[in-house]
Amino acid sequence: MQQIRERLFRRLIILCTWASLVAVGLICLFLLLSGLPALMEIGPLRFLLGTEWRPLAGLYGILPMIMGSIWVTAGAMAMGLPVGLLTAVFLARFCPEWLHRILSPMVGLLAAIPSVVYGFFGIAVLVPAVRQIGGHGSSMFTAMLLLAIMILPTVISVSEAALRAVPDSYYEGALALGATHERSVFFTVLPAARSGVLAGVVLGVGRAIGETMAVVMVAGNQPRMPKGLLAGVRTLTANIVLEMGYAVDLHRGALIATGLVLFIFILLLNQLLASITRKEER
Amino acid sequence: MKHLFGRTAIIAMLLLSLLVGCAPAEQSSTPEGGDTPAKPELIQVITREEGSGTRSAFVELSGVEQKDASGTKMDHTTVEATTSNSTSVVLATVMQGPAAIGYVSMGSLSDGVKALDVEGVKATAENVQNGSYKLARPFNIATKGEVSAQTEDFIRFILSNQGQVIAEETGYVAIEAQGDYEAAGASGKIVVSGSSSVTPVMEKLKEAYVALNPDVNIEVQQSDSTTGMTNAIDGICDIGMASREVKDSELEKGLDATVIAMDGIAVIVHPENSVPGLTMEQIKDIFVGTITDWNEVK
Repeated sequence: MQQIRERLFRRLIILCTWASLVAVGLICLFLLLSGLPALMEIGPLRFLLGTEWRPLAGLYGILPMIMGSIWVTAGAMAMGLPVGLLTAVFLARFCPEWLHRILSPMVGLLAAIPSVVYGFFGIAVLVPAVRQIGGHGSSMFTAMLLLAIMILPTVISVSEAALRAVPDSYYEGALALGATHERSVFFTVLPAARSGVLAGVVLGVGRAIGETMAVVMVAGNQPRMPKGLLAGVRTLTANIVLEMGYAVDLHRGALIATGLVLFIFILLLNQLLASITRKEER
Repeated sequence: MKHLFGRTAIIAMLLLSLLVGCAPAEQSSTPEGGDTPAKPELIQVITREEGSGTRSAFVELSGVEQKDASGTKMDHTTVEATTSNSTSVVLATVMQGPAAIGYVSMGSLSDGVKALDVEGVKATAENVQNGSYKLARPFNIATKGEVSAQTEDFIRFILSNQGQVIAEETGYVAIEAQGDYEAAGASGKIVVSGSSSVTPVMEKLKEAYVALNPDVNIEVQQSDSTTGMTNAIDGICDIGMASREVKDSELEKGLDATVIAMDGIAVIVHPENSVPGLTMEQIKDIFVGTITDWNEVK
């Protein structure tokens, strides 16, 4: 009886593992099967390097969206990473216990807010604020700002976990050598948690590049090359979600091919993450 | 020592990028901004995504869509236009944007925005109905040749007082109703197919009709106007729905078109915008991008 149950559960666990594998496989297959024909019909170079996106006129160039995604993600990281990292350091090493009990769930809450709510927050608060600086408000900078906030929980929680995983002996050793608390944390503990922090960075980039709903609502979504911080921009994800509802035939194929490009971006990112962790293990 | 230097450099870089991140925020706290690039008069054009039914109706009616030399229609909406993929986002953006201009279906108008007069005509249901408001599109249904008794009965219901009240409640503009409807005990099946813009009102009509005629089974298939017309021509459905005029080429293939309601497209701006209205020409120029400053139309 015991044995049968054991075997049953092993099967069940294997089945569950397969489920996620099959899901990934099916998504790959779907993207390739429906994206590649359109990609070939348009021409890979014209698709990837074309600077004009006017589907109804037969122009399918997604370079503006690729650049848009890269810019917005880089900007979000530049703003969100320092804040997130320092918050993680504070939570892990400087924060009194009672404050941690308040702050930690709040960071979790930040992660749980649906992105469409972030989007409305962006329209109602960030867009008018950015308009004070210049432009119409719906801009690349607004999207960066909003994404910087949205990646905070990812960066904070992963980095904090990495910092806490550093053995206390590192910190104590630094103190014993005469370093101050701050010096020990920033020059001993933080470097030791490097790989975990980097994992947080990569996950943050993944979140930023994949975010759709909130970005669509504040970025302006102009399908032309990024023209500056205060002008609008369209990202890869925005391009897909904006037009998927009505797209047919080649237009639809081109949007799926956009998804394929995005997927390759994410794959490369994951590869980067894997190689970082592997290097650390060695 | 070298390590220490490297780490200091990393920390310094992080702090530097933090400062960079903060810099614009500091700037925003100073409201003067004499040399900021955009003045509030610069028009922010808001459009819908390519392929949207509201957008295609709007560009066609306003003349933003023009035939080029080879005769294919080109949508000339400026690339600087902010693109939104839903009516609610267009509304929210215009509500927050003093210099914004956008367009939505009249049924979706809300209090936070101002609907502009077009050619001096107010954007109201009456003006759509009497044809003086130009930015309006008809919702059509089309049938081919002899129709079944239950289909005829359903169409009679749509055009009756009861049917038009439903169209109005769904947010569209009713047409002149043709008397009251009385159930005549119809039975059978009706297949309706076509425009996704007409589908919501058709679903409501169906509900009300089936409540009166429980023996009739109505199936509403949502696709687009062109598919609806093709299906009606091919006899795949009994009634085709189109959120535009039925084309001559389609009428030639034996379709009979009936307008079941009208939908006005309202051009909306921020409530504090002092412009009372625009001409069609000005609307076109704004959306094409030749007029970029509110001062030019004040």
